[in-house]
Amino acid sequence: MEKAHRKSRDLKTFLWPVLVIFLFFIPSIIENQYTIHLLIVSGIYVILTVGLNLITGYIGSFSLGHAAFYGIGAYTSSILSVNFGLSFWITIWPAMIFAAFFGLILGIPCLRLRTSYLVITTLAFGNIVYLLLVNLVGITRGPLGIINIPPPTPINLGIFSLQFTTKPQYYYLVLFSVLLVLFFFKRFTDSRTGRAIISLREDDIAAEAIGVNVVYYKILGFVIGSGMAGFAGALYAHYLRFVSPESFNIITSITVLIMMIAGGVGNFYGPIIGAVGITFLLEKLRFLSDYRLIIYGLILFLVIFLMPRGMMGLFKDIVRKRKKVAV
Amino acid sequence: MEELLQQIVNGIILGSIYSLIAVGLSQIFGVIHIIQWAHGEVYMIGAFVGFYLVTKAGVPYFLALILTIVIMGGFGAVIERIVFRPLRKMGIMSTVLGAIGLSIFLLNAAQIIFSPEPQRFHVPFLDTKIQLGTINLTLNRLVILVVGFTLIMLLSWFIRKHILGKAMLAMEQDMEAASLMGIDINYTAMLAFILGSAMAGAAGCLIGPLFLVYPNMSIMAVNKAFPVVILGGLGNIEGAIAGGYIIGIVEALTAAYIDSAYKDVVAFVLLILVLYFKPEGIFGRKVMHKV
Repeated sequence: MEKAHRKSRDLKTFLWPVLVIFLFFIPSIIENQYTIHLLIVSGIYVILTVGLNLITGYIGSFSLGHAAFYGIGAYTSSILSVNFGLSFWITIWPAMIFAAFFGLILGIPCLRLRTSYLVITTLAFGNIVYLLLVNLVGITRGPLGIINIPPPTPINLGIFSLQFTTKPQYYYLVLFSVLLVLFFFKRFTDSRTGRAIISLREDDIAAEAIGVNVVYYKILGFVIGSGMAGFAGALYAHYLRFVSPESFNIITSITVLIMMIAGGVGNFYGPIIGAVGITFLLEKLRFLSDYRLIIYGLILFLVIFLMPRGMMGLFKDIVRKRKKVAV
Repeated sequence: MEELLQQIVNGIILGSIYSLIAVGLSQIFGVIHIIQWAHGEVYMIGAFVGFYLVTKAGVPYFLALILTIVIMGGFGAVIERIVFRPLRKMGIMSTVLGAIGLSIFLLNAAQIIFSPEPQRFHVPFLDTKIQLGTINLTLNRLVILVVGFTLIMLLSWFIRKHILGKAMLAMEQDMEAASLMGIDINYTAMLAFILGSAMAGAAGCLIGPLFLVYPNMSIMAVNKAFPVVILGGLGNIEGAIAGGYIIGIVEALTAAYIDSAYKDVVAFVLLILVLYFKPEGIFGRKVMHKV
């Protein structure tokens, strides 16, 4: 048993660098700009899903308003860079902080709520933010959206400078961001704070009994998860260079939720698999044109019945079964 | 003053529709503790059933209304049996996602079957103008007011007085104890779906002639119905009825006196306020949370 455990750890430490190197060389292997685009979008969704996973999977607060934080981040960064000419490297901080602040505002009432109420409250919050983006025409330009958002300013490294205008260049920015977020997330969940947060999901009453400050950690989880969504929003805005309220409606929240659940809730690898998998699946289904979302609804249903704990859950079940057979 | 009265009447008419939709949502939640995400789609399909019966099949409007209620009740039974009964045994995450999946499926199927374009559900005699004191109404609005109120009262009576309604109330309080007392859980859950879907279908058929019918009308419906059920307390039927009228009136007044762009925001702000200060709903009793 001990040996098997060590073996799987060795495998993991070996796999990560290989995967990262592979991802690093993707733009030189894949010529197709469209695939690169999909990878960038997947990367942004990975950050969103990881944030939602912290809120839902780790602290157990069901959220259907994740697109709101994403939108807040995107709009904050866009407005600051278009109206005040600030660089992406500066606007990304207010984008995160502002989204995290709204996470704090939403997190406080959500503490007292049971799951069914949470679903509706977070849904309502998402709708309020969406309607404000549409109606506050003076600030957000309403349904027209904000155009001409500048790409991130080049970073000067002496001999050469890093540009972020073409798709492969932006791919590296997103790849780096995703790795940074995953690294932070891993360190965070392994830390004392992270373990306290996980204990809330398992049993918040027992956690409270042994001295975990439930209120503090639940809100902290909300704030960090929302901040991540704000970060993803800024990345998205400066990639497409255009934002409109339609990108941040309830459909986006549902998509992120589906990515998380399809991957596996409360699991480190789940969101990555779910986000990339669903992004590509939706693209592959494009040939069905009008029937696409019908099939999508059906697939969703099959996912729930066949693998209620997501792909990672399914994977773990298979591994466990094989181990049992071996014993 | 006259203006205010007119706006309040408009609000009550809108509120009847919200109540009709929310009652089913609240009741289904009360009985099986699942949020029926596709309830807005049931309402939308109800509107289309009425639309096809009247404009394509030439059925008289009131007969079509009755037929819609029956058909949508049957539809409710079908989705309960196929979708929600298997979901009931699963975790909350799966049930929410399953219901969302059903909603996506129905909405997009409707866009293909009925076309996404808004269509006019025209019933000539409903456009007759009526003057009630200082208030101007069309016959259509009066029908919504009267029929909506009657249906809600009938449902409320059924739940309070009829043995099957009482079985639903018992299930709301404690599913296990109810089943030990000999209440058939599956049958009662299906009944809740039949009644709730019939009400939503009636709402669709009633409002159809007033506005246009189109698949996306379902999104507006759930967006309104959720604040209403929270306002009244999830699972509380009388609360949902009152909540519907309150939100209808508040919306009409906001549109008239503040800005019509913000009428949709008001319902959500009201919802968040209720959750901040009285999460059990303004008509809810405080429920002790057992460890």
